[in-house]
Amino acid sequence: MKMEISQATLRWPLQSDMTNQTYVIFELAGAHYALRSGDVQHIEMLEHITPVPNTAPSVEGVVFSRGQVIPAMNLRVRFGFTREPHTLRTRIIIAHSNQRTVALIVDAAREFRQIPQDSIRPIEETLTGIDGNYLDGVATVTDRLGADRLVLLLNIDAVLNAVPTALEPAMAEIRGHGPNPLHSLVSKTQPTPA
Amino acid sequence: MNPEISSGFAGAFLDDFYTECDEHLTAIRDALVTLESSIGRAQPDPTVVEKLFRSFHSFKGNSAIVGLRSAEELAHSAEDFLRELSHNKLTLTSAGLDLLMSTTQRLEEVAASHREGKPGPQVAALVAQLNRVSGKSSDEQLPDQGRPTPDQTAQPVSSDEIEESRARGLLILRFQFRPNRELDQRGVNVNSIRARIGAIAEILRAKPYVNPDGVVFEFIVAMKAPPSEIAAWEDDGVKIEPIEASSEVPPDLGTGIEISRTVSEPENAPGLFVAPSHVVRVDLGRLDDLMRITGEMVIHRARLEDQINRLSARNPAANVRALLEVNGALGRDLRELRESIMRVRLVPVAEIFARMPFVVRDLARETGKKVQLTFSGQQTEIDKYVVERLKDPLMHLVRNSISHGVESPEERVAAGKPAQATLFLRASAIGDTVLIELGDDGRGINVKAVGRRAAALGLPVPQTLSDTAVLDLICTPGFSTRDEADRGSGRGVGMAVVHNAVRELGGTLSLETELNRGVRFSLRLPLTLAIADVFILSAHDQTCAIPQSFVQEILQMSNEKVRRIKGAEVIPYQNGVLPLVRLRSMFGFEPSPQAALPVLVLSSERGRTGLVVDRIHGQREVVVRSLSDPLIQVPGISGATELGDGRPVLILDGAALTTGVSRPHENGNLPGHPSVAVAI
Repeated sequence: MKMEISQATLRWPLQSDMTNQTYVIFELAGAHYALRSGDVQHIEMLEHITPVPNTAPSVEGVVFSRGQVIPAMNLRVRFGFTREPHTLRTRIIIAHSNQRTVALIVDAAREFRQIPQDSIRPIEETLTGIDGNYLDGVATVTDRLGADRLVLLLNIDAVLNAVPTALEPAMAEIRGHGPNPLHSLVSKTQPTPA
Repeated sequence: MNPEISSGFAGAFLDDFYTECDEHLTAIRDALVTLESSIGRAQPDPTVVEKLFRSFHSFKGNSAIVGLRSAEELAHSAEDFLRELSHNKLTLTSAGLDLLMSTTQRLEEVAASHREGKPGPQVAALVAQLNRVSGKSSDEQLPDQGRPTPDQTAQPVSSDEIEESRARGLLILRFQFRPNRELDQRGVNVNSIRARIGAIAEILRAKPYVNPDGVVFEFIVAMKAPPSEIAAWEDDGVKIEPIEASSEVPPDLGTGIEISRTVSEPENAPGLFVAPSHVVRVDLGRLDDLMRITGEMVIHRARLEDQINRLSARNPAANVRALLEVNGALGRDLRELRESIMRVRLVPVAEIFARMPFVVRDLARETGKKVQLTFSGQQTEIDKYVVERLKDPLMHLVRNSISHGVESPEERVAAGKPAQATLFLRASAIGDTVLIELGDDGRGINVKAVGRRAAALGLPVPQTLSDTAVLDLICTPGFSTRDEADRGSGRGVGMAVVHNAVRELGGTLSLETELNRGVRFSLRLPLTLAIADVFILSAHDQTCAIPQSFVQEILQMSNEKVRRIKGAEVIPYQNGVLPLVRLRSMFGFEPSPQAALPVLVLSSERGRTGLVVDRIHGQREVVVRSLSDPLIQVPGISGATELGDGRPVLILDGAALTTGVSRPHENGNLPGHPSVAVAI
């Protein structure tokens, strides 16, 4: 009996969280994006990235975050926009998903916003130029000056998990999915059988 | 025991068994305490039941391994009971709980007797009891309400609670308090008496009676031993008398009471704690914390040293000798501390070797092959973390050897070999590394077949297949020489998993194979992971580190000595040539304008390579951090560290560099996209 009561009292605030989630809003290539604040550990100024050879093009290198060495991924490159030099506005968002922690390099980030769940609409792919799988939806948010703007809600799991790692291309080729960029490099230096 | 296991080895293995038993028993007891609170509720917490089930199951497995039949049987029955409990959503009664508690206690006794070499206590009665309860439970609830109330004419206070307390081995006593004015003036009243009784016993029932002399408060309590100061109690108006057990005839067997009574009186009960008393078991996480803190201190000390050096360079007059002395002493102490913690973390590799005879026996029986397993160096110690992560890879290699390497007895005899194959596991310590070798005298790897298979899969196959090249091929994810996966090995992921596990541990895997003579895998692993001695190197503005254990020699190289063979740079070295890897081209920098450059000669089982750098900054002790995210697990880099400024510094993978995994590639280095050719 006790349990039931406590669950009933818990239910209300949980539901309110569902209808009004907090998001971190950031800028990328002139558009606004949002990440669930629960997926974000913290946001930092970009200080130093140690480059790592042989990674995917979007991975600029590694940074330290709370004793952990984590990859720093340039979201511009990840989404096929042009790579731009970092500026004073450049931020890294330390995002956490499925026990992985990754630093996302974005053009700017400085806002936490609540977005009502009922203002989120499904995405129309052609508008964004980004694979719809990476987005959970789009919301209209009114900024401080009273202007409406579109915010694209990013699906962090999809963004992190679809990036080819060092081993995946080899697997893909064995399974017969397309060419393997690593192998094309090898074939130039290593003799291959006719 | 398996005759192939030497007695000392078996002893070490058994110690492990006892400690594991202790762990499972502790887990079981914890879960039982949690379960106790759910007695009589609609349904016990399924996660707790699940946890219990797992613990009993592990206990059963362990017992089976050491041939402790009685414990195995008992744990098995407990498992059945728990399964009934969760599948049929039964109510757990206190009798049922008692049954589980008795089982736990009996398991402990069995294990303890086994350790002392004594015959173990009987389990048949408990097993029968458990089986009866779980058998019954399929169509009816565990009896509790339905239990007959024993005839208790003398005591009108009988209840399930009392029976249960008695079943738990507690004494049932009656405290009668007769208050009076004198006692009241001394502050002795029913509330103080209740509090005092509550402090020494479990009050099952409290009831006031009115008799001709006045009011009497009766407390029925359960306690372990009768109170020591009966006289003192009497002075305070309390009369104490025991309540006899209602009957010596066991009640309905379904109650669980009879069993616990027989169980709770073992003769010469062995010590409660099964593990040796001078051993402290420490959670590995706590040792990790210690190691981490030590690591931080190592970094701080390095920072301190930098500051002292700067101070003395800038201000030659400064008397820094005292500072240097303190710093030096700190450094020595830290190294000692680090080594002490490291020693605590070390465990003999026997921990994993001991599991192998069972793997071998099972698989040999299944495949109809005859295999003898020999060991050496099982006392070689290695970090606990490494051992834990080596279990699966080693088991896989053993299975591979038996299912792919070892021939059938007929085949062996026909090839002029003894019908029984020999599999060996060897461990030895070499400096800061441990070498584990696993070999067989089977048919060896058919190099040509591997090449054909690789080509069919579309993998690039070098013209001459060296052992290293063969290893690289069979370690490619998805590679398997068998079309059909069999139980022992081979779903095409095995060797890749082994290779990755070794790599993640900062180790190297190498292979030697000879057709019809056998195969030998060598795993070279760092003794400990957390802290390593490295050389700090730089090329252009990139600083890197390489573990000292891979560095054989440091040379000075002048550019005119460099030759090109098939596009690869080499320099003459000893009686042959040394292939070169330039750190600058690894990171996509322009070649260095300097005419002479330092070269580190890296060496591993798999070969030698010269690493050309701009500068060598010296040796350092560094804290190794793993690159655990798949995005940054790349060939040639084994980890990262920091040198005090919060910037990650990459640790180069000496093993990969010595096998040509990271040979530079002329066209691949696009600006902004540092690239390295990968030979798979």
